Amino acid sequence: MALKRELYQALVDVVGPENISEAPVILGSYAQRGRPKFEAVTLPKTTEEVQAIVRLCNRFGVQFKASSSGWGAYGDAGAPGVVKLDLRRMNRILEINDKNMYTVVEPYVIYAQLQAELMKRGLNCNITGAGSNCSALPLAAHQGIGHLSVSGSYGERNQLALEWVTPDGEIVRAGSLGAIGQWWCGDGPGPSLRGIIRGNVMPMGGLGVFTKAAQKIYHWPGPATFPIEGVSPHYRPNQIPPGFMIRYISFPSAENLSQAAQKVGESELGFILMGFNPGMISANIATNNNEDLAYLKQFTDSVQGPGFLIIMAGNSPRDTEYKKNALQQIINDYNGQPLEAVENPENAGGFMWRFIRVTSSIREVARASGIFAGEVGGTDVFPLMHQYIIRSSPVKQRYIDEGKLLADGTDPFVQSVEHGHAGHAELLIRFNKQDPESMIVAGEIAQFANKTAIEGHFGVPGHAWGDAVHDQYGPHTLNYHKWLRKIKKTFDPNAASESTNYITADD
Amino acid sequence: MALEDYRTDMEMCCRCSICKFVPLEKLTEMRHSYTCPSIARYNFHTYSGGGRMGMGVAMLENELEYDEKLLEVVYNCQVCGACDISCKYAMDMEVVEPINEIRIKCVEDGHTLPALDSVISSLRKQGTMIPGAKANRGEWAAGLDVKDITKQKAKVVYHAGCRVCYDEDIWKIATEAVQLLKVAGIDIGIAGENESCCGGRAYQMGYKMDFLNQAKKNMEMIKKSGAEILVTGCAECYHAFKVLYDKFGLKNDLEVLHVTEYLARLIKEGKLKPTKKVDINVTYHDPCHLGRLGEPYIHWEGKPVAGHIRIFDPPKEFRRGTYGVYEPPRDVLKSIPGVKLIEMDRIKEYAWCCGAGGGVKETNPEFAGWTARERLDEAESTGVEALVTACPGCEQNFKGAINGYGSSLEVCDIVELLAKAILKGGQ
Repeated sequence: MALKRELYQALVDVVGPENISEAPVILGSYAQRGRPKFEAVTLPKTTEEVQAIVRLCNRFGVQFKASSSGWGAYGDAGAPGVVKLDLRRMNRILEINDKNMYTVVEPYVIYAQLQAELMKRGLNCNITGAGSNCSALPLAAHQGIGHLSVSGSYGERNQLALEWVTPDGEIVRAGSLGAIGQWWCGDGPGPSLRGIIRGNVMPMGGLGVFTKAAQKIYHWPGPATFPIEGVSPHYRPNQIPPGFMIRYISFPSAENLSQAAQKVGESELGFILMGFNPGMISANIATNNNEDLAYLKQFTDSVQGPGFLIIMAGNSPRDTEYKKNALQQIINDYNGQPLEAVENPENAGGFMWRFIRVTSSIREVARASGIFAGEVGGTDVFPLMHQYIIRSSPVKQRYIDEGKLLADGTDPFVQSVEHGHAGHAELLIRFNKQDPESMIVAGEIAQFANKTAIEGHFGVPGHAWGDAVHDQYGPHTLNYHKWLRKIKKTFDPNAASESTNYITADD
Repeated sequence: MALEDYRTDMEMCCRCSICKFVPLEKLTEMRHSYTCPSIARYNFHTYSGGGRMGMGVAMLENELEYDEKLLEVVYNCQVCGACDISCKYAMDMEVVEPINEIRIKCVEDGHTLPALDSVISSLRKQGTMIPGAKANRGEWAAGLDVKDITKQKAKVVYHAGCRVCYDEDIWKIATEAVQLLKVAGIDIGIAGENESCCGGRAYQMGYKMDFLNQAKKNMEMIKKSGAEILVTGCAECYHAFKVLYDKFGLKNDLEVLHVTEYLARLIKEGKLKPTKKVDINVTYHDPCHLGRLGEPYIHWEGKPVAGHIRIFDPPKEFRRGTYGVYEPPRDVLKSIPGVKLIEMDRIKEYAWCCGAGGGVKETNPEFAGWTARERLDEAESTGVEALVTACPGCEQNFKGAINGYGSSLEVCDIVELLAKAILKGGQ
């Protein structure tokens, strides 16, 4: 269905003829294969333009959906009849406040850009684990949990004041922005809407448009720019900055790993602490799939069991010494074993920068077959998430044995959030996306993970979105789905904000 | 190869958008962090490398009909290959090759743009990509006392290229190159009036058959001349002779060198000695076809191995821009007394395009100028006096942008700077 000419012309009037299209060649690139196409794509530049588009959609009874860097399929339309807001032209870092340790960005600033600007000022930000190619808006990239979350927390906790165009077209300024026009606090003075707008895993484009947001930033003890040399894909620093150290430690058992990771958290040693496995280490260093397989064999043969990757960043020589000694003590106590290939001088700098800039997630999740898949645990106490992922993951091996998934060595992993204050677990799977059986398997793994979470009382994981999944979890989790629907209905009375990956108001 | 042969490459695209940015490991600040002129100028995802992958698959599936907008998207791209570099930092898939194939398909299906047809018509009639060219092709070499390879044997043939031959303002790029090579004692010749277009830009525009015709014609003449080495000062010609001719099995044993490679070699061997001081602060623009696209072609034939990871039998080595020509031009600059090289943010494999390539200058001069203006801004931010490049196409486009937008920057070719340090009459 084409948009009514009156609506299309009104949209043209808002963004200008250069910034709207309904040409098939344009619409096609905004829909993953086999998915419904948008009716038009708009490129708003300002909050006022976003508001005008949203109001027009409400007026004409048409749905809309916004996205920023647009990686996830949840930025796509769930059905025909939807107008797209591609927020690409909203791409400014509006403020870096080094005194109060926050920054304000528009949706199309990516983490790599933000981190680069922050480092020049001795600051750093958390980066979502999916990669620094993702939007740095703390409400854009799923939960925003990533490699740096052990020291840099994650989206929900980092988010401060924000500007929101509600589904019916009101501009809401939450937190301190709403009361005194400043960005430094998400919860007051002024209205705190953190719980309402975020839910468990963000509304995934289903609750209006977030146009600006502030987030906490952190101290960066490294250089203003990391001294990277070489030509793609062989980048590495010419030296490791003083006080920085990287190690990969494997343990004889998952239990030892979990306890050692918690000790690292208690001792506040980690700048980065990821429960990575040989499969993710090999993907990180390998510059192609063949190398990846060779490294995987090498690393798998060199570890004694599950492990973690740690990067430490000392703030002073004494701090560095303390961290080195404390880590060694933990390694000794839990019978850890270093993976030499990670810390040898040839590799260490490259590994370090790829993890800090979070550049290799695409290698880790997408290079094998072009598909990003996996099961996502929630964010809860570390041991609980550890148990959850261990219990929900054995099904993966069965499918590997049946030839439906790649034997990729990516064992389930848990990562530490806020120095072990919380944990987040994931299980990656890789498969040929052209293989229909494998696509079915991905769904079955998700269902097994859901069943495990419900029966084991592990809470609602991060991969829960859409009506069906919320309806599955809700009755076991204080009927949260009913509250979520009330939120949707209240803020989106015309059901204008396309909600396939959030929740609809229909009971 | 045809578009269909890249179907699985295009289907690998996971829409991560990394093709829009410089390799993220090298990103050091907000400004100058974009790598693709097309998406930077037009903003819709379709204009990016990833968007073009989706478009290619849709064309194969006959989901798109040819219309004005489709052709506008197809041709508003310099095919500069920056997207290919950023993608292949992480992925095992071709990007710029299918973008070329999309154009070839358009031409084969009879859908192209009038401005391109005019250029190709000139190529077919006059052997040059410069429509309406009136000057004699070999006039630039008048008085040079250099061998004519169609009549005399020479070990090295210098190919000046269409852009230089028909633009008197930049004849110096060729005349001084030849003079420098003669100073070094090189047995050099030119084809003069018989030189013909390399065909590279025709290929970039999708006119594969016209490219092949030119390539065959050129190689026949070079074979007859007995020349062993072809040297050119044009990055597009360099890419055509070295990479494209090889891709189509036409290069044979001919050694192809960009003039900066040859000059750097001669300086290293002590056959050229830059002695005169040239006091100037410069920055260097890596031409796309000399840098990332200039790395050798890798022949491979094989098939995918069935399974859940994209590997091939035999293993396929992807061209990732790693072995482009980056150091020789810099070595030449560093050899000139008084020249201080200050690098821009986007260099080598992730350099921002000058804007002229892929037929954009012919079909959309405004976009070509906008792209050049972005680069001039970047060059100006280094505080230098001159932007130095190694391709007449880049030089012309930068000078055009300066005429249009204004800039205090001087634009010149590396050869001109080296000539000042070596040739009589130099500084």
